[in-house]
Parts: sequence; C-alpha cells; structure tokens
Amino acid sequence: MLARRLSAEGDVCGVDSAAWETRPPKVPVYRADLRKREFEDVIRTERPDAVVHLGSVRHFRGDAGNRHDINVRGTQKVLQHCSDYGVEKLVVVSSGTVYGALPDNPFFMDEDHPLSASRDYPEIRDLIEVDTLASGFLWKAPGVTTAVLRPVHILGPNTRSMMGQFLRLERPPTLMGFDPVMQVMHESDMVEAIVRTLEVGLNGVYNVTGPGEVPLLTAVRETGGRAFPVPEFLFRTALRELFPWSVVPWPEGVIDFLKYPATLSGKLFESATGFQPLFGLRETFRGLDA
Amino acid sequence: MTEKRQGWLSALSDLAGAVVPLSVRELEAEIADRLYKVPTAVNEYGFDRFGLSPDEARKTLLPAALLYKHYFRVSTEGIDRVPSGRVLLIANHAGQLPFDASMISAAMILEAEPPRIARGMGEYWIPQLPFVSSRAHRMGTMVGTPENCRALLDDEECVMVFPEGVRGMNKTYDQRYKLQRFGTGFVRLALQTGTPIVPVGVVGSEEQQPGFARLDGLGKLLGAPALPLTLGFPWLGPLGILPMPVKYWIGFGEPLRFEGTGDEDDADINVLVDRVRAGIDEQLSRGRAQRQGVFTG
Repeated sequence: MLARRLSAEGDVCGVDSAAWETRPPKVPVYRADLRKREFEDVIRTERPDAVVHLGSVRHFRGDAGNRHDINVRGTQKVLQHCSDYGVEKLVVVSSGTVYGALPDNPFFMDEDHPLSASRDYPEIRDLIEVDTLASGFLWKAPGVTTAVLRPVHILGPNTRSMMGQFLRLERPPTLMGFDPVMQVMHESDMVEAIVRTLEVGLNGVYNVTGPGEVPLLTAVRETGGRAFPVPEFLFRTALRELFPWSVVPWPEGVIDFLKYPATLSGKLFESATGFQPLFGLRETFRGLDA
Repeated sequence: MTEKRQGWLSALSDLAGAVVPLSVRELEAEIADRLYKVPTAVNEYGFDRFGLSPDEARKTLLPAALLYKHYFRVSTEGIDRVPSGRVLLIANHAGQLPFDASMISAAMILEAEPPRIARGMGEYWIPQLPFVSSRAHRMGTMVGTPENCRALLDDEECVMVFPEGVRGMNKTYDQRYKLQRFGTGFVRLALQTGTPIVPVGVVGSEEQQPGFARLDGLGKLLGAPALPLTLGFPWLGPLGILPMPVKYWIGFGEPLRFEGTGDEDDADINVLVDRVRAGIDEQLSRGRAQRQGVFTG
C-alpha cells in the first residue's frame, strides 16, 4: 500500500525476506535478510534518498530469540547503512504499545513518557529496544533526518496487527469486568502519515493517533465479534501455562492491554505535519477486512 | 430461541417497570433529562475521549440519586458558587467508602444549574478491580495523575479532588472533622492551568461508618489499600460495609483564584493549601452548627 502510494511520488523499491505476492507492478522487490550482506548491497546499489523501516516481527509464532535478533539487529543494520550510504531521510515505524498498559498510566501519554511495556510484558522488549535504538540514532547521526513513529493500533485488510487479529476473532476473549478505552487508526491513514513524515522531513519521535477513543468492547462489537468474558485469574493462568507450548498466540503480558487504557497523544505529530485521519471510527472498524 | 428469550426479558422488564414505584421512575427521567443538559463532547458511539458515557453514567447515578434523596437526605448550600468552565472541587474525605464522592457527583447533577459531571480523581487501585474499573471509566472517574487532571481542566471540566486521599477516608472516628495532611499537587495544577478552586465541606460522611482502628500491616499483607475496623466491619460481614443513614450536608465555598506559575517553593504552595483547608473547615463548622443531630437535621 505504502509502495503504491509512494510510487506516485517517485521511484520505490521494496526489501523483504519472503516473496511479496501482492506487490504493485513496477515496484522491484529484493529478497534479502536485513541482517545480511545482501541487504547492504541493495542500499549500496539503489542509493535511496529515503528509507522507511517497517520490518519488525510483531507476532510470537516463531522462536523468541530469532524474533529478537531480526528486530533488534535488523534495525541496527538499517540504521548503520543509512548513515554509511548517505540516506537523507529515515522513517522507523515503532509501536504505540512500547509505553505499556499499566494501572497508573495517564490518559494521552506524550512522547516523553517512559517506555515501560517490558515491566509486565517482557516478550516485546525487542520492540522497545528497536524504538530506543532508533531514537538514539537521532543524535548519533544528525546528518540523517530520522522520524520514529509510534502509531496506535492499526486496522485494515492488509494489516495483521495484534489488535487486528484479536478483533478478527469471532469470540475474542476479554477480561471480565474491564472495558478500557483504546485507540485505533486505519492503515490508509497510517500510509498517509508516513508520506507526510517524508514530505515534511520530520526529525524526532512522534506518536501517531487516529480518529479517537472507544471502549474495547465497543470495538469488538463494531467489528462483528462477540466478547467472551473470562475472569482474570483464569485468563492469566491459561496464557501463562499455554503460551510456552504455542497453544495460544499471546503471552500473559497482553492481558494488561485488555485491562488498562494505554492511550497516546498525537498532538505533536498533528501540529508538525498537519496530519488528520480521513477514516472515522466507524469506517475504521468497518474497514478491518474490506 | 433468542427471540423467545427476548420476549421473556421484555416481559420481565415490563413487570419490573410496574413494580418500581413511580417516584423512582420519575427520578430516572429527571437524571436523564439533566444529564442531557451537560455539554459533553461524545463521539459517534456516545463516549467522550476519556471513555465517559452519559448513557452508562445515568444507570450508575440512579442508585446514587436514591441515596442522595432518601437515605442520606442531602442538603446543599452554595452550589451556585461553582463557576462555569474549568474548576476544581476540593473536599474532605471520610467514611471508609467514598459515598462522599458519589453525593457530590449527585449534587452537581441534580442541583447545579446547569448540571455538571464532576470527574473524580481516584486511587491507583480503582482500575485494577474488575467491574469497579469499567464502571469508573464510564463515569469519567480516572486515576488521579497530574496529567489526567490537566487534560480534564484543559477540556473545561469540573474535577473533584480529595487531597487527603486514603489518609482521610480510612481515619478513625476520634479524628472526625479533623482534616488530615493534604497533598499539594492540586494547588500547583490550579496555578498552572488558571483554575479556580471551590472548597467543599461534606458533613455526615465523617460519621457514616465510625472506624476504631486501622490494621495497616494486615491490610498490606492482603494487598488492600486500607483495612479499617469499624462499627460494622468485619463483624457484620458484607452488610457491615454499609454506611449508617446519617444526614448529609454539603457546603460549597466561594471560589479561590490564585495567581502564580505552579513552580513556587513548597513553603509558598503550602500557604495556599492552608487557605483551601481553611475554606473547607469553614464549611464544615457551618454545616455542623446547623444540624440538629447526626441522623437528623
């Protein structure tokens, strides 16, 4: 999607470790592992003006150590090549979940809020490391205009975000007696946000937010699901005991995202880029798979 | 199957409607009507950006309004002093369970013109308790962090703060009407956001559930924020947490408008905190002088 949108503005190429079936025509895609020499060759020969780094593994299906290595070392290589080969602009798409869902979270956390997700959710500490690496790159390589984006949950037919997968379930398990507000945005709006970031040449760390806030159970209902409330004790035990055996797709830490609000303030990004989401809440929910 | 059940349910709710006294239904309509007058920016699903839902709030306010009118028989004074726009209601906190917060909320809905939703700034454990958490969310109550308070005041909301916190709520009976140590954060926020402070005195809550002792050590062991021994708890089991039908009186003082940046030294801030305390004390002594007894008045 991003490639299609960007190819309207200039030449684009993609890098992926797997074959990309649905790529837009006229966009060459290199098959390369970010951590290997073949990726460096792509940067060396293509000499891009701008790099958008979307290549993080967010699911927990494979080996945890491998995931960590792909995410952290992959990002480190991207950063290194960007500074070695004179890339002008870099956008690293991090995640709004890095702040974590904690009981004492304030509403609408700004970019200075500590990244505490790993306190109770150690499985995503690699995403925090990625974010931290990229943020550190801001002062390490002042020559590269770098933007670290922390978007809220992204929904859309082409996106397999954690929240998207959860909302696609027919009977998503929810936490009995809890219904925190959450924020979503449509994938098309996220694409537009990245384009704006490149156009403006943003340098810094920015939350990216969508059309607003709704309670989780409302989101479940609006995406056609029926909530399956589970008492916390059972829910925790089930995930703790079953996740190591890959019976359930999530570790225990996700429960906090069904329990406490983790909302971001996107004011800084909006004032820096003039970004406004086109998809309202209703369209975003309806557009989960269409 | 589903259809049948719906028919069943609607018959049941018709029956309930017939049994519930007219006055309760009238009260429900009054709450709905007054909530409708509160200017709340809600999205297409009926929630504001903090997750408050006027529809859900109505359901929670009904029992509060019943307590307000028939159980605690609350009288209020000076509610017209609460200015429009952003405002901090600063009140004393007592009575083991926060009925004082519910009664101030009910007063702001039932008696204030125009009605307002008083947003509570709660303790950290509120979002950790099932059902309490979701209910509090829909009512617009949230953890009392400075960030949350500032966001609400920026939206021109009415925010209710109990600077004594648990120190006040779980104090023992001999400490009644003695204000405990105040936090100072609310004054700094008021200075930073240019918010007027209304001192609120609540008479009645201090006697609703006399506490004899606090078992802080045991409470900590059980993970409770406080573990008081009171007239009713734990001797009467779950019934023991019910408050006694004391007569409530709520007095609103003149709004205090302070000038400053919020970065002053603690000593300067404490002077202002003491002025708010004095404002609450003044209301408390007025209320106590007026009443005939703890249960009547």
